[in-house]
Amino acid sequence: MAEKKIKIVTSGPYAAGKTQFINTISEIETVKTEAKTTKAGEKEKKDYTTVAMDFGRIKIDDEYTLYLFGTPGQSRFDFMWDVLGKGMVGLVVLVDSTDPATFHEARRIINYFEARYPAPFVVGCNKQDLKGAWSPEDIRTALDLGDDVKVLPLVATDKESVKKVLLTLLDEIAKHI
Amino acid sequence: MAIAGDLRIFNFVDIFQVLRKDKKDGILVIERDGKNFAVYFKNGDIVYIREVQKVFYVYLDVDFEAVLKKENVSKDEMYNILVARLPHFLNVKEGKFSFTPGFIRYSPDINPQIPIEKLIMYLSRQLTPEEVERKISDLNLVFEKSENWEETAKKAFLTDYEKKILHLIDGKNKVTDIISMSKINDLIVKRALYGFLASGIIQREKKKERKIGFELTKSLLNKIISKIKDL
Repeated sequence: MAEKKIKIVTSGPYAAGKTQFINTISEIETVKTEAKTTKAGEKEKKDYTTVAMDFGRIKIDDEYTLYLFGTPGQSRFDFMWDVLGKGMVGLVVLVDSTDPATFHEARRIINYFEARYPAPFVVGCNKQDLKGAWSPEDIRTALDLGDDVKVLPLVATDKESVKKVLLTLLDEIAKHI
Repeated sequence: MAIAGDLRIFNFVDIFQVLRKDKKDGILVIERDGKNFAVYFKNGDIVYIREVQKVFYVYLDVDFEAVLKKENVSKDEMYNILVARLPHFLNVKEGKFSFTPGFIRYSPDINPQIPIEKLIMYLSRQLTPEEVERKISDLNLVFEKSENWEETAKKAFLTDYEKKILHLIDGKNKVTDIISMSKINDLIVKRALYGFLASGIIQREKKKERKIGFELTKSLLNKIISKIKDL
């Protein structure tokens, strides 16, 4: 029987923790399309960055597999948002809670998907374990989100934390089936 | 939890939006070379601004009465001093900001006299094209008026242009429709929308229906949920 792919997209600004999020929950080692960072301002944050997409996989049964796709964080790769947005069942937008400079980019990503692929979505406020992290409620206001959108604390290295974000997204999806 | 960052990236409109939302009390400190500002907030509105040479001076007093005493300012003079200092403060575009919630105690007779919504709209009228793109990044965005929008708009002292733009926000018109219907320059429209969002007059359209790009059944979804729970 041919495998049926169910797609959830993880998006967010540069260095928000998208690859880590997928890696923490995936049953396979995340398939990465990375290149060495060369741009000033990016090199300081990490050595390698996603350039096309990352994906992880969770086998549901013999017929269905859940794919978690991660988009590149930089706006110069935003053509990938269209490729990944088509056919998704839900979207997780991650932000770096310690870096308000990235909130504008997160809002731009939400605006883009909301205007074109209005699937159920949740926001994961990553790096909540670090000093200087903004609270999810303040991030909700900064992103212009109403109380109809779930904005959740997240530590992307922690499996239970990642599961909670994914399960909340699935609850949101359930409301629209 | 922190509310801190760099003013060049997160400007006063963005900061005031966050402080206004939960009607926060506390002190906003702006640090820049040689000149630091301490801005006292009560219920999300500014009550007083002072300049301090060293930031730690701000945290020496937990009682606002003591701050006024140190500044040699009476309660009757507070408003005039605030109005005189406000333009200098709002003109600051660079520096680090940090907000300490709570901390300062106000007596019940200390009340804000300039609504933060008015300041948000004033500052929004000066936003650069790059800044407005941060919130109004897509011409397909749809907004709707918030609950209590009339009361909030009253506090914001809108211009005639802004009233015209606000009139066109109905939960159906996209940004591009508002620009063409109002026949107002697109930067002015985007600045107004930015200010409306930050001051809470409008909000993102709440979508009642969402698109799921797959034939997902309840039983399949439950299977996925069980699988994730067991991981």
